[in-house]
Amino acid sequence: MKTVKTQKKRTARTAAVVAATALALIATGCSSKAGGGDSGGTGADGVRTDKGVTDDTIRIGALTDMTGVYASLGKSVTQAQQLYIDKINADGGICGRKLELTVRDHGYDAGKAIPAYTELQPKVVGFVQFLGSPFVSAVKERIDGQHKVLVLPQAWSADLLGSEYIRVIGATYDVETVNAIEFLLEEGRIAEGDKLGHVYFEGDYGENALKGAEYAAGKAGLTLVEQKIKPTDEDMSAQVAAFKKAGVKAIVISAGPRQAASLVGVSAAGGLNVPIIGNNSAFAPQLLKTQAGPVLQKDYYVAASTLPIGSEEPEPARLAREYAKAYPDDILDNGVAAGWSAASVFGAALKQACDDKDLTREGVAGALTSMEDHDGGFGIRHDFTDPELPSTRETFILKPDGKTKGGLKVLREAEASKNAQAFSFGE
Amino acid sequence: MSESTTAATTGPAGTAGESGAGSATGRGRRARVRVRPPRRAAARTVAAVAAAGLLLLALPFYLDRFWLQAGLLAMAAAIGAIGLNLLTGATGQLSLGHSFFLAVGAYGYCVLAGDRDGELTGLGLPGWLAVTGAVAMAGAAGGLFSPIAGRLRGAYLGIATLALVFIGQHVLLNAHDLTGGYNGRPVPPLSLFGITFDDTETVVAAVPFQSMEKLWYAGLALLTVCAFFAHGVLRDRPGRALNAIRDHRIAAGVMGVPVARQRAGVFVLSSMYAGLAGVLLALVFQQTVPEYFGIVLALEYLAMIVIGGLGSVSGAVTGAVFVTLLPQILTRYSEALPLVSAPGTGGVAPGEMSRYLYGAAIVAIVLFLPGGLVRLAARRGHTQKDEA
Repeated sequence: MKTVKTQKKRTARTAAVVAATALALIATGCSSKAGGGDSGGTGADGVRTDKGVTDDTIRIGALTDMTGVYASLGKSVTQAQQLYIDKINADGGICGRKLELTVRDHGYDAGKAIPAYTELQPKVVGFVQFLGSPFVSAVKERIDGQHKVLVLPQAWSADLLGSEYIRVIGATYDVETVNAIEFLLEEGRIAEGDKLGHVYFEGDYGENALKGAEYAAGKAGLTLVEQKIKPTDEDMSAQVAAFKKAGVKAIVISAGPRQAASLVGVSAAGGLNVPIIGNNSAFAPQLLKTQAGPVLQKDYYVAASTLPIGSEEPEPARLAREYAKAYPDDILDNGVAAGWSAASVFGAALKQACDDKDLTREGVAGALTSMEDHDGGFGIRHDFTDPELPSTRETFILKPDGKTKGGLKVLREAEASKNAQAFSFGE
Repeated sequence: MSESTTAATTGPAGTAGESGAGSATGRGRRARVRVRPPRRAAARTVAAVAAAGLLLLALPFYLDRFWLQAGLLAMAAAIGAIGLNLLTGATGQLSLGHSFFLAVGAYGYCVLAGDRDGELTGLGLPGWLAVTGAVAMAGAAGGLFSPIAGRLRGAYLGIATLALVFIGQHVLLNAHDLTGGYNGRPVPPLSLFGITFDDTETVVAAVPFQSMEKLWYAGLALLTVCAFFAHGVLRDRPGRALNAIRDHRIAAGVMGVPVARQRAGVFVLSSMYAGLAGVLLALVFQQTVPEYFGIVLALEYLAMIVIGGLGSVSGAVTGAVFVTLLPQILTRYSEALPLVSAPGTGGVAPGEMSRYLYGAAIVAIVLFLPGGLVRLAARRGHTQKDEA
């Protein structure tokens, strides 16, 4: 008897569910999705706003990787950006509004990164960080077409150029590599007719750098000896052997810190004593504490379009001090400077948009495009007026140094070589 | 394998639509006499399925894009997991190469449906032909592998299929004109019967329909067809042959089951399921990302069928929903989780926490529900019958 009763109850319950669903279907007009959605408005202070901005907060998104392959970079970048936002808030915010950073960790997984963008996009005015260029490319069409939201990717591939809303800060890998090779030529380390080795990652970073290397080598009459590697290759013995056989006079490396350390270490051990220069991603301060540390400080150089965190200039020095105070256990690396620079560019765009009384997404992106001489205090002036071009063509040449904070010191001040100025993108 | 055996015998009957009276029909069939379930129970099941169906149909009117996207990813994963469950759960053939066939489907669709764009190759075929073609390509890739798949078993096949993932990754990153290299290539929107599943807005009952809303219905239809087909395969002669191969290969051979041919056949079928899942995934992502189709994805698919329940359609679907949605939900609500600190304050970051929880959930399920999540439903079915 008892079961019959429960069954009856169940039937009744199911029937109720069916009826409710049917009702709901009929009444879809009541769905919150119905109608156009918020088209924004004008705040009490006469500033136009749409998504991500209320009368007292400005929400900014960050899509980062804190648990995947770029975890250490993502952590540094995000913490530096949080530090910037805390500082702005302590000074009273922007436009009378506090900044709020919403972070989503995608673990460098497309299955999380693309949904995370979808989720955060309606809530924020822009993204101060989007780590992982494949994911930026994946949502590029939606960014340009529908959302028109400012995104600062934490990547320097020229493939990302050409969008009004996705803006690369600093020199792209191709022009950085051109400058690096030019440096070797100017120093007299290589000359016309010599062979130049290039180790590069498969993927957009390495292949973009290769374009620059091919261009520079063509201009200077150098023969390029290419060695393509995978990010999982960490032993460079085979590459060094190939370079030695080919008789290269210098090597460019467009890969990760571990590959750089292996390349430098194995070359020195194998008697291949040539200068080696890497892109900005081919160094990490942790390397100096490894066995490769002493040789790295001999004849290894790094090209980058920002002052290193260990610089004596006021901005980097202050950032290094404050970062070390806020995160005493964490290491100072390139990510700190990169994250802070991106945040300061975003902050400057917000301030400009506030002056224009337009904190809408279009307003913020437009404000950035109007900035033709932005100086974040990191030694490079950025021009954001042409979305087809990187914000600068200038590159510092840095040298590893165990005594400096962050492990890098400036060897040559920022400049754009003649070839870098003539370089045309997207060819 | 004894756990999966029990799961499989009750499993196929306990699938969608029969969950309540599942084990009754299961036993009936074995005795070759159909015992009709009590009429009231049947009515209840029909009502429950109708309600669930209606609810699924109504969701695009209410959920925002994030949830629809998550749901669609779960549907795609469910299709792929059904395929893997046919292979691994029902036939006992371990495959670590499932993500390779997903990639074949995803990229196959892009190549067939895409227009020629710069250096990218595209044939510009109509949508339905491109989808069918992509599934056929995945099947053909499985067919090419079948001389190996027919002869190897267990861990040996697992290792052999692992090679596919690495070969796949290499091709995806280097065959630029087909795959677009590291950053992938854009996925042309599907267009069927005059409807284009892209982001142009179509207003239905005052609700703007964009790609996710439209794709939702396509995904539901595909999943339903796939589930019924696999269900049919499992409950009839082929299913019994596959289970026999899994449980005792030699005995199956003695009874007249062509072991190598069946193994090769189920491998092809499983690859086609993966191919279709790949097509749907690509349509949801709107861009193919080569790194996604790696070894981790293959392991996730294995996790799905183990968590859901080996050897059954409902197990694959349950596991796929669980494995796909859990990390999404944990990431989205990361701020509200206990013990989690904001990124950069030195505590456990939300991303790390979601991984711990995910891992703990998998361990808990394997320990306490070794037959997978579907055993929960099966257990409830039993207690109800005992009461009656």
